[in-house]
Amino acid sequence: MNADQALYELLDDYFSGKLTAEEAEAVENKLKSDPALNAKAQQHKTMRDAMKFYNNRVELKHMLDSAHLEVEETKPVVLLPATIGGWKKYWPMTAVAASVAMVSILGTLWMTQSLETKQTAIYKELRRNVDQIKHSQKMLMKDIAQSMDKGKQPIPSKYAGSGFLISSNGYVATSYHVVKEADSVFIENEKFGRQKVTIVLRDPANDIAVLKLMNDSIAYTTRSLPYAIAKDEASLGEHVFTLGFPREDIVFGEGSISASTGFSQNPNSYQVSVPVNPGNSGGPLFNESGDLVGIISGIQTETLGAAFAIKSTVIMDAISKASLDTLARPLVLPKYSTLKNSSRVQQVKRWKDYVFVVQVYKN
Amino acid sequence: MYYFDELIVSEIKKKNEVALRELYKTHYPMIVNLIRSNNGTEEEAKDIYQEAVIAFYEKVQQPEFILTCKIKTYLYAVCRRLWLKRLAEKKRYHGNIQETETFLGIEEEMNAIEDNEQRFIRMRESLASLGEPCRGILEDFYMHDLSMEAIRDKFGYTNADNAKNQKYKCLQRLKKLFFATYKEDLP
Repeated sequence: MNADQALYELLDDYFSGKLTAEEAEAVENKLKSDPALNAKAQQHKTMRDAMKFYNNRVELKHMLDSAHLEVEETKPVVLLPATIGGWKKYWPMTAVAASVAMVSILGTLWMTQSLETKQTAIYKELRRNVDQIKHSQKMLMKDIAQSMDKGKQPIPSKYAGSGFLISSNGYVATSYHVVKEADSVFIENEKFGRQKVTIVLRDPANDIAVLKLMNDSIAYTTRSLPYAIAKDEASLGEHVFTLGFPREDIVFGEGSISASTGFSQNPNSYQVSVPVNPGNSGGPLFNESGDLVGIISGIQTETLGAAFAIKSTVIMDAISKASLDTLARPLVLPKYSTLKNSSRVQQVKRWKDYVFVVQVYKN
Repeated sequence: MYYFDELIVSEIKKKNEVALRELYKTHYPMIVNLIRSNNGTEEEAKDIYQEAVIAFYEKVQQPEFILTCKIKTYLYAVCRRLWLKRLAEKKRYHGNIQETETFLGIEEEMNAIEDNEQRFIRMRESLASLGEPCRGILEDFYMHDLSMEAIRDKFGYTNADNAKNQKYKCLQRLKKLFFATYKEDLP
């Protein structure tokens, strides 16, 4: 055993209080007189304390870990049987409550007719992408069934719109959505009276339909049309006018081209600031020189004063693509306007002879 | 001032294990809630909480200890600070957890807790790298207060002097390891 080892034995005994009072005093005196020794002793004490401290912490950690187990155990062991017992005990009541809730919910939905409307709402949502025109525009059709006198007219027409002659030999343009569900279609105005027509062109994509007068004799008595169809797109801000049948009488409306695209940037139509109402659909849109620039097709429901009209260029395209020339009666579009220098009143006087109310019958 | 707290403290001073367990169970849910609502797991909450409880326990053991705030406040404030530090280390969170409760002298307290934690970790690592049988001998002698005779028998030395010799060598090695990493805070 060397001296250093003996010293540590002594220090251990001193720090753990195993020395007698005299021995301890001797050690203390020694430490006071020898700083090097004292430093060594302090270092040793630090070590001893650190070890004690370490041990206490390890034991404490063990204790806390076991306490923690109790914390965790209490959760599942106590709670789980309680929930099972609760369910078993209360399931008949739960079942009754559930059925009462079910009955009242379904009953309320049924009474308020919410069940059906909800389904159609979903249906409309789905249709929005597929059939944009139908969902996005409020169709300007007029349900005149109720306004008709049922005694005189046993089978009233279901829908009404407007239309106008696009060829002097008896072709009438209107909106597709006016006539799409038709069984039979009649047109009527002051000059021509009531005439039966057939649908010769259906263009749902552009919302255009072309009707043909059945009565050839009337068709050929017509003089050439006073207005032409504009070959170029109308400019922004150009004044435009419309004639249509939102009611029994022909109604004139005016405004201007407010945008060169239609609903959701549809390039095939204009936005116009013309007051239109259900029944105006299919009506002509004229510019100041009396040329046809479009067909009124719809309005945007949530925006005030935004109506839409199919561009005349689109109408011409649709008609030429449909190759109606093969028919016995060729469709000849009017090329020259004779209304250019007339006053508005004169223009309207001429126009209104060629604008019709389109009556659609459907069983 | 706080009767329940005073009772707990006086019992913990006597090293009453039941009181400590009660204390542990009482405030654990609060800390789980704190940690979990601030990007932590339950496991992390347990670590943090135990560190705080241990700090509190050690603090209570000091003879001059007086209770100056609610135990709950102490634990909450300490846990909050420990968790903020942990989050900063993980670089997971740079904000702040709203301080709802704190006590005077928390800075000193946090420093002391940090020092103790360092001391504990150094000792643990030193002992780990010491290896057997040195570790066993030193633990038995210095921590479990076994006599050299018992250690001699336990480790199979032929006489107590051999055992003492071995213990001395081990102590010198441990001292080297411990002070190599633990130079600061020497008294």
